[in-house]
Amino acid sequence: MTGSLARAALAILAASSLSANAQSMPARAVPPWRIDPFPSTYRPLPRTDFLLVDATILDGAGRRIDHGELLVRDGKVVQVGPALAHPAGIWVIDARGRWVTPGIIDVHTHNGTYVVPLTDIDTESSDVSELNSPNVADTWIETAVNVQDTGFSRGLEGGVTTMQILPGSSPIFGGRSVVVHPIPATNIAAMKVPGAPQGFKMACGENPKSQDADAHDIHGPTSRQGEVTYIREAFMAAQEYRDAWNRYAQGKAATPPKRDLKTEALAGILAGDIHVNMHCYRSDDMATMLEVAHEFGFTIGSFHHAAEAYKIPAMLRGAGTCAAVWGDWWGFKMEALDGVRANAALLDRAGVCVSMHSDSAITGQRLNIEAAKVGGAARAIGIDVPPERMIRWVTSNSARILGLQNRIGTLAPGYDADLVIWSANPFSVYARADLVVIDGAVAYDRAKPPAHSSSDFELGRAGAPRP
Amino acid sequence: MKSLMLGAATVFVLSAGHLSAAPIAITHAQAWTMTASDPVADATIVIDGGRIVSVSAAGAVPAGAQVIDAGGQPVTPGIIDSATQLGLIEVSSAAGTRDETSEAHGIGPGFDVSTGLNSNSVLVALARADGVTGAFSYPSKSDEAPFAGQAAFLKLRAEGGIVDHAGAAVVAIIGGNKWPKDAGSRAAQWQMLRRAFGKARDGHHGGDRGRGGVHGHGDDPAGPPPGSDDAVLDAVLEGHAPLALFVDRESDVREAIRFAHDFSAHVVIMGGAEAWRAADALAAAQIPVVLDPQANMPTSFDALGNRLDAAAILQRAGVVIAFGMAGGAIEESYNSGLDLREGAGIAVANGLPYVEALKAISTNGHRLWGGGAGTIAPGEAADLVLWDGDPLEASTNALAVMIDGRQVSTDNRQRALEERYLPLATPR
Repeated sequence: MTGSLARAALAILAASSLSANAQSMPARAVPPWRIDPFPSTYRPLPRTDFLLVDATILDGAGRRIDHGELLVRDGKVVQVGPALAHPAGIWVIDARGRWVTPGIIDVHTHNGTYVVPLTDIDTESSDVSELNSPNVADTWIETAVNVQDTGFSRGLEGGVTTMQILPGSSPIFGGRSVVVHPIPATNIAAMKVPGAPQGFKMACGENPKSQDADAHDIHGPTSRQGEVTYIREAFMAAQEYRDAWNRYAQGKAATPPKRDLKTEALAGILAGDIHVNMHCYRSDDMATMLEVAHEFGFTIGSFHHAAEAYKIPAMLRGAGTCAAVWGDWWGFKMEALDGVRANAALLDRAGVCVSMHSDSAITGQRLNIEAAKVGGAARAIGIDVPPERMIRWVTSNSARILGLQNRIGTLAPGYDADLVIWSANPFSVYARADLVVIDGAVAYDRAKPPAHSSSDFELGRAGAPRP
Repeated sequence: MKSLMLGAATVFVLSAGHLSAAPIAITHAQAWTMTASDPVADATIVIDGGRIVSVSAAGAVPAGAQVIDAGGQPVTPGIIDSATQLGLIEVSSAAGTRDETSEAHGIGPGFDVSTGLNSNSVLVALARADGVTGAFSYPSKSDEAPFAGQAAFLKLRAEGGIVDHAGAAVVAIIGGNKWPKDAGSRAAQWQMLRRAFGKARDGHHGGDRGRGGVHGHGDDPAGPPPGSDDAVLDAVLEGHAPLALFVDRESDVREAIRFAHDFSAHVVIMGGAEAWRAADALAAAQIPVVLDPQANMPTSFDALGNRLDAAAILQRAGVVIAFGMAGGAIEESYNSGLDLREGAGIAVANGLPYVEALKAISTNGHRLWGGGAGTIAPGEAADLVLWDGDPLEASTNALAVMIDGRQVSTDNRQRALEERYLPLATPR
């Protein structure tokens, strides 16, 4: 799993450099699904090398280092350990009594498309999902993102350094996601994590079928069985497209298949280049989707919400599929009735890759506390989750869902220096993110709130702090 | 009046029949009595007949008492959620399980949620397991702007129903985009509110107005019929029930203060995203605020001022605050206990003194909605929670929950599911 994801990441990196040098490279080497029409222009914020000392470090990979030290150079973690050599003249941050973790990763936000305050235009025609068809695989959510959503800065203040913005769950094939760093920007490309594998949103169960049943002018599936058939037919078309592309790439066909934005996206899933984030709640729905993925030979990267994932740990583990879950949301609709707070702990204990996600700009400010809720529920049924294990749910496991597990989510040499200095144990409700670092640059300092800590929307409005 | 007395006495006898004969002593507790700023260390809390008899440091255990050793852990009054729809909403997407609202023609302020509460809701059992012993459960919109109806104060007894008292408040909702177009302007909503109360007041000039009252025990044939819209509004005008006003924008908060003054009504601000901007005026008018301690996003143009230190600002100004609707949306009823405690912890992290946060989820709820003082003090109902850590931490669990001196079950459907599937979680 790890290897193939890493290869996919490299492939995307290769694709973006290829598109920059299109003239010197054979065009037929780049399948259409790897083309990124909206390339990242992200540049790290101004940064200084630093050495953290006397911190309780949770490295995100399961290790805890008391009185630990961490060296950051050129935006990368250089060393982590109990006692490091101190380079002369380096900026030393004393973290005595404080905790250091990798930056929090939220794999499920609608920031920039579900922008509060919602108004009439959102009610009439929301940007969360394109609804002209159950298949909007051709859409890229980044083309809708309003970067002035307060969800970005609030998340950053809560220690979030990477977010995946997903389309909504009304369509069956929702389109491409985008992975961003929540830094101040005037367009999404400046926030887009360069080289991140392409993500994709699919949905099963109640939402797509009720959307299609409600829509008068769209004739999509109105039942679970209809959804599954719809998915299989779409992937059959994608198989043909992929095969046609392969014939061309191998020189067995003179011309490539005609570009088709929907089908080529699904072909990218079949090729393993595009990571599927699938919205499902019930264990039977997830089991069915795993069968469909097996039939077409691809891996579902993650189930999102996955309220009943705890009922099928062996299936998820066997498929190499992660579960992105809430701390305590449950019960609000029929397919969420069996949601339990210990879900993440039960899955983690069974060896399933599990991650806390938000789906909400309020919850997204406190994914560490969502994890703490799970810890309480787990303790009540005899499962003790120490902080160094729990932190994986919001860091390294989340990175794996994004296909970035070799770049972020862990504090180890060579990783991006995305980290948080917390005022206390990050699973305490009283802990505050004192310093949030992205690519080695201070993106948020609680002691010196930067001029851009609020979005343009908030500027000069009632929420501004009192003198 | 006579029938009310009889009713109360009957209830007492029935409960007494279920009480254990022996007194109960909770020993070695860190007792947050809420009568002082600091807890009583190594406290012994003696309970008899459903009420607290004594609380004292290292106090003696009465002979024959059942002993619960708290092992040094915190004991607090039962948690009170001051804004939830617990018991009224079970599955949001299943209309047959929702009783929080009525848009039936002619249903107005008299709409009384107490007759629609489901004590066997799985949400109630989970709230109880999370330490909630009391809750203010409120109606959503009625057919008559700007009224929602009458809220109920719940006591989450395990048997015999959860209504502590009906008519705990008359609820109204005012603000931008809260009502259909015919009452779209908030100015129209204020006009409707004033007109309704003005009519109720004028309708009884010189008479024995309001004998019917919200409690429905009037004996004046000239008064409005019990439970009628007029009787309900009378209850507010007579001070029997507060007017719980859902408003967010500063202009509406200040308009609520003016309304309270003009009608001598006991107003409670609900939500109050920008109440902190009128903190001093609210303190002067002795108007409390129930707020969501997790709200810090500009969720509407009325709520641009949402901020996490709103509770701290209001409390510092002398406003009585209570927490409710914590986390909003899904959390407010589905995690009535856990997210309320989490929210109180967030308020502490943002400057609210710890004991004030505890009050905001316990005794202050009683101040607003009635049902005793809610303190751990002699004579008070023994609604208590023993915790396995700091109750404001999201990872803390209630070890024991006591309502009216009886330990209630913390069993709930989630726990049953977790235990059923635990064997599948083979350690790896």
